Amino acid sequence: MALMEVKDLSMRFGGIIAVDDLSFEVEEGSITALIGPNGAGKTSAFNCLTGFYRPTSGSIYYKGEPLVGLKPYQITYKKVLRTFQNVRLFKNMTVLENVKSGAHSISSQFVLGALLRTKAQRKEEKEILENALSCLEFIGISDLKDKVVKNLSYGNQRRVEWARALAAKPELLLLDEPAAGLNAEEKENLIDLIRRFREELGITVFLIEHDMSLVMKVSEKITVLNFGKKIAEGTPAEVQANPLVIDAYLGTDDDKEGSAWLK
Amino acid sequence: MEKQKSKFIVNSKKLGFFGDVVEKCYVLLDNKKVKWMVFAAILALAILFPLISTNYWISVMQNAMFFMLLALGLNIIVGYTGICNFGFAAHFAIGAYVTAILIRTFEWNFWLTLPISLVASIIVACIVAGPTLRLRSDYLAIVTLGFGEIVRITARNLQITGAASGLSGISRPELFGIHLTTISHWYYVFLALVVLYIIISNRIKNSRFGRALEYIREDEDAAMAMGVNTAKFKLFAFIVGAVMGGLAGSFFTVRMGAISPQSFQFIMSANILLAVVLGGMGKIPGVLIGAAFIAIFPELFRDIPFIGTARMLFFGILLVVVMIKRPQGLWPERRR
Repeated sequence: MALMEVKDLSMRFGGIIAVDDLSFEVEEGSITALIGPNGAGKTSAFNCLTGFYRPTSGSIYYKGEPLVGLKPYQITYKKVLRTFQNVRLFKNMTVLENVKSGAHSISSQFVLGALLRTKAQRKEEKEILENALSCLEFIGISDLKDKVVKNLSYGNQRRVEWARALAAKPELLLLDEPAAGLNAEEKENLIDLIRRFREELGITVFLIEHDMSLVMKVSEKITVLNFGKKIAEGTPAEVQANPLVIDAYLGTDDDKEGSAWLK
Repeated sequence: MEKQKSKFIVNSKKLGFFGDVVEKCYVLLDNKKVKWMVFAAILALAILFPLISTNYWISVMQNAMFFMLLALGLNIIVGYTGICNFGFAAHFAIGAYVTAILIRTFEWNFWLTLPISLVASIIVACIVAGPTLRLRSDYLAIVTLGFGEIVRITARNLQITGAASGLSGISRPELFGIHLTTISHWYYVFLALVVLYIIISNRIKNSRFGRALEYIREDEDAAMAMGVNTAKFKLFAFIVGAVMGGLAGSFFTVRMGAISPQSFQFIMSANILLAVVLGGMGKIPGVLIGAAFIAIFPELFRDIPFIGTARMLFFGILLVVVMIKRPQGLWPERRR
């Protein structure tokens, strides 16, 4: 059974159908991608998966349990973590404080624990700190830990966001256009990092992406979306060869230059 | 060396008026030892103050400390969580009236009224915040504003709260066999409370709960994506702040020996909010400075001829200048 199953997912905004009967699966331990041109409904679909939108119809199962109707934080508690397309960090806080937020869903102390500073609370604080530091180490930004996030470069802010998601010890990581705004070198690092997520931490990765070169290199299975509908599915090679995909990205003319760009 | 100097000038320009002083303080206070020494020195000074001062100034300082309690309570709601609250005086009125009624009408011991005051604060906070916290902050401003007025006007019209003239003749409590009657006694009681509230604020700030509140303030969606049940945490922030305000109100009652709806006007809520914003939202020393500023400044002007009668005008002008020059507050969160 697949780790996550999406069945007949539809999302309408008034008269606009953003996602139309979308079905796909994410296998455990895979790196799966959802791609499509601008406005294809990728982000709408993504927001349905993470509980930020409630789909108009259809169902989403994670480990056989339905996700539709759950609040975003409840989905996080199932160890399904997301990042945002345009980095959403806690801008006025330090990198370390940001990464500590990842541990929120795997810790439990509340008001009384904080006020009385109980033994359990101090132990948990220590664990949260160690966990955050090890995530920073994994991403390779330990030296930035005391910097306030809003003073960091965009590339580094992205890395903080990955570290933050990692701190929640996710089993499924949902990346919303992780390569947006990164330069060539940072993209190479990202590809390496996504592979390390799976190889070293055993995390299943699902990403939606605009950048074809990245998706082709890193993912094993790709679902292609256009105008909210699934138009193709398969390995990178299969998808690349699919005339429908080429049309979706480049218009209906069979443009040689365009197919070269796809590769 | 040369380079460092020019860097500093650029820095202080960016930070604006008073900013370089604060920045220097931050650098000094980074050292844990210095931090504790400064803290100890301020505490020692505060303890010795009544011995070297007049009763008038002791009572001004005690009033300033009362403001600090309220401001620290509101700081949990406004400063940490970023929830708007224009009716904080209502929470402090709840505590004050609960204690006053229990002592006057039912002849309870003051210390026994505190748990009741706490429970009442929690219940009222739930009633106000439960249905309204999902509102956007500007709507919430109006709701809390209305709530503040509702509480005041209700107190003005009920028999049990003594209507417009309020309740008087509330007996002073005993503590460790000392009957708390003189101004110095109350000075020390409030000093102890301020220290307690600082510890509470500090512990919350450095906890999972407090960090979650700050995540909500910074970005609610992202906080939710990290697993923060934002509705629950906002409600609890509101409750903690309301309880801190309510207990401060209980102590206010027995300190004054009498309360009336006059004490809980909108201007009170506004002043507490002002203390938080002026000092630097979310920052404990900032909030303390802000509260002291609000309470002490009008008194400083009082004895100066000509200005004395128009001191609130000068106070207002000064506030405007401070907010223009330092919109982030007197002692804001440090930026690196």
